[in-house]
Amino acid sequence: MKFARYLVLRIAAMIAVLLVVTLVTYLIFQIVPADPARAECGRVCTPANLRRVRAFMGLNHSVWRQYIDFIGAIFTGRNFGHGANAIHCSAPCLGYSFQQGQTVLSLLGQTIPVTLSIAVGAGLLWLIGGVAAGTFAALRHGRAADRLVMAGSIVGVSAPAYLVGLLAILVFGFRLGWLPTNGYVSISNPGEWAEHLILPWCALAFISAAIYARLTRSQMLDALDEDYVRTARAKGLRESRVVGRHALRNVLIPIITVFGLDMGVLLGGAVITEKVFSMYGLGALLIGAVGTTNLPVITGVTVIAATFVVVATFIVDLTYRLLDPRV
Amino acid sequence: MTRSPSHLRTRRSALLSGGAVFAAAAVLAGCGSNSQVPGNGNGTATIAKASPVKKGGTLTVLDSSSLSATGFALDPAQSWSLATTSMGLLNRRLTTWKIGRTGVAKVVPDLATSDGTPSDGGRVWTYHLKSGIFFSNGQPITSQDFKYAIERTYAPQLSGGENYQKPLIADTKGYTGPFGGKSLPSIQTPNKDTIVFHLNKPYGLWPWVVSTVSMSPVPAGKAPAATFAKHPITSGPYAVQSASQSQIVMVRNKYWKQSTDPNRSDGPSRIIFKLNQDPTVEAQTLISDNGSAQDSFGADFVPPAQLAQISNDPSAKSRLVTSPASPLEYLAVNMKSKQLQNAKVREALQYAINRQSIIVASGGTIAAEPATTLITPGIAGRVPYDMYPAGHTGNPAKAKQLLGQAGVSHLNLTLAVQNLPVDTAIAQAVQQAYQKAGINVTLKTLSQDSYFGLVTGNNSSGYDLAVSSWQPDFPSAYDNIEPLFNSADIGNGNYNLSRLDDPAVDKLINQAEATINQSKSNVLWARADKMIMATGSVVPLVYNRNSFLRGSGVQNFYIGTFPAYPIYTAVSLG
Repeated sequence: MKFARYLVLRIAAMIAVLLVVTLVTYLIFQIVPADPARAECGRVCTPANLRRVRAFMGLNHSVWRQYIDFIGAIFTGRNFGHGANAIHCSAPCLGYSFQQGQTVLSLLGQTIPVTLSIAVGAGLLWLIGGVAAGTFAALRHGRAADRLVMAGSIVGVSAPAYLVGLLAILVFGFRLGWLPTNGYVSISNPGEWAEHLILPWCALAFISAAIYARLTRSQMLDALDEDYVRTARAKGLRESRVVGRHALRNVLIPIITVFGLDMGVLLGGAVITEKVFSMYGLGALLIGAVGTTNLPVITGVTVIAATFVVVATFIVDLTYRLLDPRV
Repeated sequence: MTRSPSHLRTRRSALLSGGAVFAAAAVLAGCGSNSQVPGNGNGTATIAKASPVKKGGTLTVLDSSSLSATGFALDPAQSWSLATTSMGLLNRRLTTWKIGRTGVAKVVPDLATSDGTPSDGGRVWTYHLKSGIFFSNGQPITSQDFKYAIERTYAPQLSGGENYQKPLIADTKGYTGPFGGKSLPSIQTPNKDTIVFHLNKPYGLWPWVVSTVSMSPVPAGKAPAATFAKHPITSGPYAVQSASQSQIVMVRNKYWKQSTDPNRSDGPSRIIFKLNQDPTVEAQTLISDNGSAQDSFGADFVPPAQLAQISNDPSAKSRLVTSPASPLEYLAVNMKSKQLQNAKVREALQYAINRQSIIVASGGTIAAEPATTLITPGIAGRVPYDMYPAGHTGNPAKAKQLLGQAGVSHLNLTLAVQNLPVDTAIAQAVQQAYQKAGINVTLKTLSQDSYFGLVTGNNSSGYDLAVSSWQPDFPSAYDNIEPLFNSADIGNGNYNLSRLDDPAVDKLINQAEATINQSKSNVLWARADKMIMATGSVVPLVYNRNSFLRGSGVQNFYIGTFPAYPIYTAVSLG
């Protein structure tokens, strides 16, 4: 019962956060001088045409009315324009992109698989690689292997994502010719899908694994000094069991916290990676929308990105219970 | 105002996708690319001779655009493509452009038999269609298809195109497109081969207007606004086989006939546009010239770092194509600014400018050459002149003298500029040049949206000067002058950034627009050029050059005298 109440409260809080995020997005657009209708008005934009376009897009109402219409459309759908020109956006309607001629939901449906493919693969790679490297370094504390891992991690932490991606393309794509350099292939062709994603995964993982390696190492060093580890060793447990079963389990709690947040952010759009590897995911969609004052898409992507973050945080909190029942 | 990935867009790029463009301008002065032109500012180019068009193969175009109305729009109603770039492969119009390797661009018949026959003093234009013209679905192209296509552009959901025709066609008030069954009485189709346009004023440039991509025919009644772009039916040498955010695949339109279209070729069997490319990776791909890159070219300007790299790579250098100097980089002088009301002050701004430093900021002589006129090289009617002769490095002493005559001792101006590397460098060069004349300039560096919101908005305050650039949407002096200096184009998102509201200029513009004889019209445009310069409302800075890279298997990849982009409709594979 207590858990059920916790769940209800958390979900309510998540919805409140999303409402605030969307409202802030709308308000920000009232402050900047850009006009979304202008982008749809054409080169020769007469005041009459601008008014017509603005009305068609639903931008002729107050910001509050626009916001309420946006929220209402999620549940009921809505029409843009009227008569023979009307465009219907079915519920759950997150808006309509006049520039792409598609509903925002449809655009999200096309771009989320790209970002998800990049994020999940890279996330797993950096989590496993980072934790393994950090644990390896901690167990060889002060030795050459430790210093080597830490030196490598400094390179990863300090390297700009764009540079790492570009170097990976130059070396593995152009010089060695081992891997394709850009473009996304649907998962319906799993071989090519993975082949095109190897470089983005590795480039992203190289950067983030470095952070995780450093975090894991410091946590592991602390854990190995704890009483419960000494007790486990005194009981005669094998070192692998001491580390894997006792120390690592505690180390993973802060790691998972950070991982959850990182994944949430990454799912909101691996902007630079998508750009370098020419993949049209959420990040590319968002950047394009910002550059063209495409308010419906900006709002839609913001809602989805924020949803990923709050859901990821929620899952992390639930995971705590599995890793440490005391939480 | 093309400032972007070359492919194609005209000035929307400036508005929407940004000016990375002149980032293309590079650091390697005199790198000697294969189409490098002499710096004579007259638009003539020294370009390699044409190769015979070989048929077959798959041409790949690497392009940073995405599939959207603001990028690569497959619905002609929403496209900002130039007539000779991407959409030129897919769509024909009543007229098109004849672009030579030298000389000026001309308007020529495309699907029509002539450039148009004017009557009623230029208020009515009549076109007759050629015979044997078909859409990619095999359907014959009729005058009804043109009428329907043009009517579509009035629908609010398809408003985002070039729209030159909209303020000109008569009796369109309240018209919102053909989807509700209404049609425009001012576009008449007396038979399937004849179309008659009734305009609301005499307009000598109508043959150019009907050459723009938004005037391309679509099958009447079969081009729904929401779905046509997904499966477009085309009239050019290519048809769309598939389109996604990853790529657009074009195959030959089997119903297109070379005999009806002397202005295009259908060399490659397939053309694949790979979208959403990163320009740096795109340039590296082409420099490597490996595999399919050999049969590819880049739609984007080569970034400065790669231009420097290319200068040390003989293979890549031989494949670099640089345009003649053409698009205008200029300083808009806000005529509504209280500080700039005195003509002597505006004159001082003309003399103080140091164009040599602007060229350096633009990337060197491969990227720009000094500009002193508004009509750009390669456009018919241009008359070179320099109204404020001060040499390439300016004359700050004369500027100070003029300020003294104006009784101005402390001039503090705000210069609006987009937060793009080359634009910012140019703004800094302007700032330094004016500092020498005792003019203090504060840079107002803005994001692209904010910049255009400010300079094209209805509030004239907030800036005294603005750095901008402009390339016409079609090769007419009209497009060098009217959009930038007609008082009707102040605010509302239009491009009269100088906010020049001069009845004499407006009158001359109207007179030039209404003149049917283009030779006489060009004389008037040249006069308007000088009249506007005399107001001191604009300081021409440089004419820009754009550089593009091709793979070793690509032939007939050249840039004519206008526009400063490769002519896609001529490219073939070796």
